[in-house]
Amino acid sequence: MTIRGYKFPAPLIALSLAVLLFFLGGVLRSGFANWEQAVNIVRLAAFLGIIAAGQTLVIISGGEGIDLSVGSVVTLGALIMFRIGDGSNSMILPALVLALAAGGMIGLINGLGIAFVRIPPLVMTLGMTGVVQGVILGFTQGVLEGETPPLLATIITRPIVGRVPGIVFFWLIFGLGMWLLIERTAYGKKLFAIGTNRVAATLSGVRVNREILITYALSGLLAALGGVIVLGFTDIVFLNLGNRYLFPSIAAVVVGGTVLAGGQGSYWGTMSGALVLTLLTSLLTALQFSEAIQQMALGVILLLLLSIYGRQRTN
Amino acid sequence: MNLEIIRRPFNRYFLRHNPYLFALFLLLLSLAINYFLQPNLFDLRVLNGNMRIFLPLMILAAGQSIVVLGGGIDLSVGTVVSLVNAVLITNLARESGPVEVLWAIALGLGIGLLAGAFNGLCVAYLRLQPIVTTYATSFIYSGLALYILPRPGGAIPAELARLYRSTPASIPFTLLMVVLLLLIWKLIRATRFGTFLYALGGDAEASFTTGIRVSRMRLWIYTVSGGFAALSAVALTLSTSTGDPRIGESMTLDSIVAVVLGGTRLSGGYGGIAGSIIGVAILGTIRNIISFANVPTWWQTLVDAVIIVSALAGPGLIKLLRRGS
Amino acid sequence: MKKITLSAQNLIKRYGGVVALANGNLSISSGEVLALVGANGSGKSTLGKIITGVVQPDGGDLHVDGQPVRLGSPQVARRLGITAVYQELSLIADMSVTENIWLSHEPRRWGLVDTRQMDRHTETLLELFAGTVSPNLQPSTLIGELPPDEKQVVEILKALSWDPRLIILDEATASLDSRQVARLFELVARWQADGRAVIIVSHRMEENYRVAQRATVLRGGEAVADRVLADTPTAELVQLMIPDSAVRVKKTAADDELTQRPVRLAVNHLKTKRLKDISLSIRDGELLGIGGLRGQGQEELLRALFGVVPYEGEVRVSQKDVHFKHPQEAIGHGVALVPGDRGTEGLLLSRSILENLQLPSWAQYGRILNMKSARSDAQAAGRDLRLKMGALSDPVSSLSGGNAQKVVLGKWLLRSPKLLLLNDPTKGVDVGAKGEFYQILDSLRAAGTAVLFYSSDDEELLWLCDRILVMHDGGVSAELHGEHLTHANLVAASMGSVGSMENHV
Repeated sequence: MTIRGYKFPAPLIALSLAVLLFFLGGVLRSGFANWEQAVNIVRLAAFLGIIAAGQTLVIISGGEGIDLSVGSVVTLGALIMFRIGDGSNSMILPALVLALAAGGMIGLINGLGIAFVRIPPLVMTLGMTGVVQGVILGFTQGVLEGETPPLLATIITRPIVGRVPGIVFFWLIFGLGMWLLIERTAYGKKLFAIGTNRVAATLSGVRVNREILITYALSGLLAALGGVIVLGFTDIVFLNLGNRYLFPSIAAVVVGGTVLAGGQGSYWGTMSGALVLTLLTSLLTALQFSEAIQQMALGVILLLLLSIYGRQRTN
Repeated sequence: MNLEIIRRPFNRYFLRHNPYLFALFLLLLSLAINYFLQPNLFDLRVLNGNMRIFLPLMILAAGQSIVVLGGGIDLSVGTVVSLVNAVLITNLARESGPVEVLWAIALGLGIGLLAGAFNGLCVAYLRLQPIVTTYATSFIYSGLALYILPRPGGAIPAELARLYRSTPASIPFTLLMVVLLLLIWKLIRATRFGTFLYALGGDAEASFTTGIRVSRMRLWIYTVSGGFAALSAVALTLSTSTGDPRIGESMTLDSIVAVVLGGTRLSGGYGGIAGSIIGVAILGTIRNIISFANVPTWWQTLVDAVIIVSALAGPGLIKLLRRGS
Repeated sequence: MKKITLSAQNLIKRYGGVVALANGNLSISSGEVLALVGANGSGKSTLGKIITGVVQPDGGDLHVDGQPVRLGSPQVARRLGITAVYQELSLIADMSVTENIWLSHEPRRWGLVDTRQMDRHTETLLELFAGTVSPNLQPSTLIGELPPDEKQVVEILKALSWDPRLIILDEATASLDSRQVARLFELVARWQADGRAVIIVSHRMEENYRVAQRATVLRGGEAVADRVLADTPTAELVQLMIPDSAVRVKKTAADDELTQRPVRLAVNHLKTKRLKDISLSIRDGELLGIGGLRGQGQEELLRALFGVVPYEGEVRVSQKDVHFKHPQEAIGHGVALVPGDRGTEGLLLSRSILENLQLPSWAQYGRILNMKSARSDAQAAGRDLRLKMGALSDPVSSLSGGNAQKVVLGKWLLRSPKLLLLNDPTKGVDVGAKGEFYQILDSLRAAGTAVLFYSSDDEELLWLCDRILVMHDGGVSAELHGEHLTHANLVAASMGSVGSMENHV
């Protein structure tokens, strides 16, 4: 969107929309726009934002990059913490390491299939979703035993300052880390390069396949981290815990202005996108719209944002 | 010189039909295994039973392949199936007469075409990326489906369900529909629309400078896809005899997997509908095999997924190994 | 053939803030061949695209046969009998020659495409270039399997298939070999006699003089002159294109001094799928040219040396045995490659100038990148190259062609390469930018960089290089230096005949 020659970056549009929605909520429903609600929304957005972090990297990497396996990996990450952690604080760290390793491993397999066997990312990661679900079903035989370590829940949900829980601070630091990774490391610079033009990147000495492998592995790892964090909030695990985060994770990235064709995007855009989506859902729920209306509204808003961004790109 | 003349048409034939080869091999292999585990596989009753389940996805995958060949993708097809299913079931009852049935089907088709045209408008004239556009519209369609039919239920006239299961001249009705589908495709392929489709998917920019009306083509492609989704919904409704506002959701990704299994290139311009139909048959046969091979229930998902991933990896792995040696 | 007259007046085209065409004027009628000349970015392609309906003007008038027209799409132009051979080809790789040529005007029967008739027509068209193309070029061949020159031939035939009254040849000769160019010009003469009108756009000045009678000169998006070529010497035309044409630099390094320098690259019996047993060596500060017809393996040689194409044989860089399997390894040994197509191989178009310049070098700026020093290094490189740009953070797509090419070169200069491989770097670059490019080459050579330089421009090679290897069919057919460095020898060796000439291989 360009107003008087100034081009508004997509993340800023998304962030403004989030603020607008928040106050719109306040007007439409008294008691919506208060501090507590704000904290609650940021907290919910944090889960989505962290889960969508890997998705952001994958989409920037281009080549029709997308990771449909994040949902099942979120479940897997949560499940590992639930089982291995099993209510014991001292097991948090080993369980975390194991969860991250498992997530990274699944991402690595995705990367291998995509980079070397040339399976389109959409179907490769879809196939892996089935594999991860299959592994979960096979090993648990449908029985989910375990317990969330109490410390994990405390860290994530207990307010630290001004009723703001730990997860919100964690998200801010995490966001800073993601910004550093994307904008201030050689990995990040090469990520944009392979997302824009893989031939030119190769001829400039970038090892494209290695970059793809790292990116999908990171995506798996971050999804597993997201699973662990979600567990701290939900306290229990169910078989499709992560599924409801899959499509919102893609939507958050897109709403944040990251281009699905690759080579352009940012994590603070995804953070704004996560806020917009969470706010929208909360607002529609608060207004007691039926699920049918909620879905349609979400679709329309997505389409509107896309057309605003799309217009911007052609300029 | 003579040799040249013989070689040429063969070359062309071979190249055009090459995309299906691996899929055909997979299908034969899985059918053989299935036959071994289930010797009555080709009995009319069993065949009919299988085809009844496969047909809706086959039609849907056919529509999806048209979009994919044209260089796009349609993530809304599953929700269009749900929407049309909801429309059909709310306009039908167990005692509906032929006029009502025709009206309902016409209405369903119209709504499918409209939904597809809306996708096409967004992609062609707003120039939005297909994958996110159809993802966004899928929320609208699934919302509409839920709005029309808040909870599963409804019924259709028994004659319709019987027609769908019928076996005129000992050939399943559903198999005849597949043959009809392939014939229609062959006809489409021989028209300009068919040529333009491959051109557009192969290189949109070059197609434009050559004088193909790219935007209009895109509008048509998505509209056709919506129409196929509606047909798929009709088949599905006849098959299940009831309505469910979420019935199509899982079919979208299945249709894409079938298209890729069938050898169509996901970035467009190469492949065809026959491959996608084979792809659906492979998916279905694999599921048959798993249930007849006595795989323990809790492990079935994993076995299914691993087989599908291996099948997807097949052509790429072969290429990789060939290059390595 | 129905006669045609076309005139364009005051055409304007803006892309965002950039004015591509400020005042486009030209007129042409049946039986004329008009050359459209101008430096890069002078608006030739834009003007051509407006006339063929690919691009819509923001202002100005177009008249065809005296009637004002609005060419809203390529179809409209085509209906009026106007077609073009585009510089960036409009062919679809996965479709056959026939399907490409007849795309969007397929002959039909009963509403279905009549493939047999289509193939027959194609064969008739292919005969126009018979003898200059390989026998593999058949109606059913897939475009993706053809070499660049034959793709270009198909593109020409595709334009011709519309039986146009006006044809625009936009750099149509750029990838053709000399026999194909000769055949094309015979055809142009025939079209002229048939009463067709032809507009030719070519960077090779002699080609314009060979076929055209009149030239319209564009400068900075404006039509500045319209000349009869017979009365206009080349120098005057160039002067019109670029008011103060850049001075070329003369070659320096003396032969005897060169032989004292260390050998930077030694290649022995290098083979790939395409290359047959290539041996060569370059010393520091030497500019070794590679010549020959297009597509004789020159590009493959450069790519093999850079680790892009797998090869067999011995390669020594800086006295060390190497076998590069990826460009990254080559870069580690001080080798750099400027690829042939800057848009698809050289640049990240939507990314910033900074990121393009620093892409091979990020690792030098620490684990957490020191952006300040990365920026100042890039700024310095930009100054050295006299890069005309806004800010380092602007996308590289905002630069003009010549400046974008400087970025491709600049990313390697930042790494001070020991061996520079150049793949036709001045292809499609205007005279002014070429001059600057030669100056850069010269200073590199003075600094001791060894340069292996493939060019499709014979004049340029003869004029710049100390030595030229002429390639033919994947091998080196001659090595020319000293007194043998003549155009006649170069042409003879290009055709694969070594004949009476002394063979130095």
